Amino acid sequence: MTDTGLLLALLGVPSAAGAASGIVRGATALRTLAALSHLATLGLAFALAGRVLAAGRVEALAGWLSLDPLGAVVMLVVAVVSALAAIYSDAYLGHELREGAVAPRELRKYFGLFHAFVFTMLLATTSGNLALLWTAVSATTLASAPLVDFYGSHEPLEAAWKYIVLTVAGSLIALLGFLVLYQSGVGVLGRSYDFTFVALAGSATRLTAGTAAAAFMLVLVGFGAKAGLAPMHAWLPDAHSQAPSPICAMLSGAELNCAMLAILRVYALTAPAAGTAAPRAGLLAFGLLSMVVGVVFLISQRDFKRLLAYSSIEQMGLIATGVSVGAPLALVGALLQMITHGLGKALMFFATGNLLLRFRTTSIDQVRGVVRLMPATAVLLVVGGLAIAGAPPFGLFVSEFSIVSGALRAGQWAVAAAAAGLLLLGFLALLAPFNRMTFSTSRGPAELTTPRLGRLALIPGFLLLAALLLLGVWVPAPLEQLLRAAAAVVGP
Amino acid sequence: VVTVLAALILIASFWLLVARRLGAALNGYAAQSAVLGAVAIAVFADSGLTHLLALGVLTIGIKALAIPIMIRRQVRATVYERRETRYYVPFPTALLIAAGLALIGFVAAARIPFRVDLVPEPVLGVAIAVVLLGLFTAMARRDAILQLAGLLAAENGLLLAGLVLAPGLDLLIEFGLFLDVLIGVAVMGFLIARMHETVASTDTSELRRLRG
Repeated sequence: MTDTGLLLALLGVPSAAGAASGIVRGATALRTLAALSHLATLGLAFALAGRVLAAGRVEALAGWLSLDPLGAVVMLVVAVVSALAAIYSDAYLGHELREGAVAPRELRKYFGLFHAFVFTMLLATTSGNLALLWTAVSATTLASAPLVDFYGSHEPLEAAWKYIVLTVAGSLIALLGFLVLYQSGVGVLGRSYDFTFVALAGSATRLTAGTAAAAFMLVLVGFGAKAGLAPMHAWLPDAHSQAPSPICAMLSGAELNCAMLAILRVYALTAPAAGTAAPRAGLLAFGLLSMVVGVVFLISQRDFKRLLAYSSIEQMGLIATGVSVGAPLALVGALLQMITHGLGKALMFFATGNLLLRFRTTSIDQVRGVVRLMPATAVLLVVGGLAIAGAPPFGLFVSEFSIVSGALRAGQWAVAAAAAGLLLLGFLALLAPFNRMTFSTSRGPAELTTPRLGRLALIPGFLLLAALLLLGVWVPAPLEQLLRAAAAVVGP
Repeated sequence: VVTVLAALILIASFWLLVARRLGAALNGYAAQSAVLGAVAIAVFADSGLTHLLALGVLTIGIKALAIPIMIRRQVRATVYERRETRYYVPFPTALLIAAGLALIGFVAAARIPFRVDLVPEPVLGVAIAVVLLGLFTAMARRDAILQLAGLLAAENGLLLAGLVLAPGLDLLIEFGLFLDVLIGVAVMGFLIARMHETVASTDTSELRRLRG
């Protein structure tokens, strides 16, 4: 297949699967279709990443679609997390169907929206046109809000409404930023020009400085709300805790990265003309504030899904902080962090999804003795917990270490110290509840009455654990090359 | 002409913030959209940029007609004639904040060193004020339908800002935006209908169980 064909197929497979979900009959067919189509998408994503590595860029539809190394990094995370979430959905929904928590007719809606959600995220990573990028990132909210509301009771509805109102408001602020960005190119490129990343990057140093600076700040605030940066994060703990667990994995592991990608693209375009001082200060302020908010709410958290949600806020804050440092080592670290956090957070939502299915609660206090009752999930919970908390030898340790040492090498002692200190606090606050749930036998049920989970509920988690272990001891050469190329796209 | 029409758009935004009946607020949004469509057509008449004509017609067709009808069909209840005066912010404070936001819009517009060629300069100030007022309406009012109307009005402001800042932008992009808006209204309308089933009201202050 040609490169263009691969790119079109990447978007075509989830669209076709979404359309087919409206037609096929039966729960099994829907679930199999989802798993198979996402494995196909995953294969296409890896093939495309390889082509981007060789050719630098893959384009289609006259530049409307354009995949560069930066987009490819996020595309890989989206594809891996969605494929495993599709497989985990099979196990999760199978259990919910047997338990009667979900009616068979609701599966069509679930998988139709699931495919639409994946499509919008993949479109965001492959958009060459900046207006298309905005549209795609905004559409991720629209496709996923009904999924947040999937269980259909009071709390999920509240979470979905908050999610949609706050992130749409953010998207609108970001749209003003994109219009101002267009305006800053008018002086060089004329009144009508192709609003693509490539066209603007070619004359980035000659954009109007004042408008370029304003454009970045508007996009940072607007899509910062979607990326979960404090203080615009109020929707995130609700949405990321009320959705079904496989959806939570995609919201935390994949969707946040798409919003961050849009921020990084606008950063790359505006910094050459407007200077790096103001945008870096903005990223640092939102980044550190998000880490503080994340850690503070981790410490007092009593709900294990909200615990993971606040951890996402902390991690997105760390990524913004890493980009703000500006040194290449920290930037590569921040991009690697997008991958490792995405995989790690998906792993933890799969593990806690198993807890939820068996214990029927999200309260940390009501889950005890997991090591005895569900030994395999206990391994995921404790070892995965270590991995996302940032312990060696897992991938997050490598990326977090790169960010902190990048800050040190750039002479930013205060930033390095603050980030390292907050990470350490976050480490302790995150591990304590997982250990308590796994090893403590003080209270909680002696036996579980809910049916046992199949192997399918464990496989996605263990695959992610293996991937994180691999990234912790050895970042494969092609991935490292891709990360360096992506860091070069983000630039100074 | 364009400046006068822009002033009408701003007045419609204030109307959304203070309107007491949901039906009246939706009519206000429809009127605002119709005026916005007229602005696009007026700019087309001055400049000859044909895609602006298409934009104007689409705006009137989709936003002044289709979207208000969609919202009314999805939430069929008799909510539209009810008096709705509840705010998250005390009403006098809300008015003060709104006036402040409008002022900020004009000041911000004056400070952006932009190149205008088709549209009189004060229009950008109006556009930013309309965006801010719309977002504020979505945050300050308790009723979900009014929050949706606020977001839609903010989006109208952005379309107006687009006429000033990016009149050369491709029409395909506007199609994408309209599609996004339509899907957004469908999804939010669905959630509002669910809200009406779940708590027998569209008052979002009924939804406050999630904490910490």
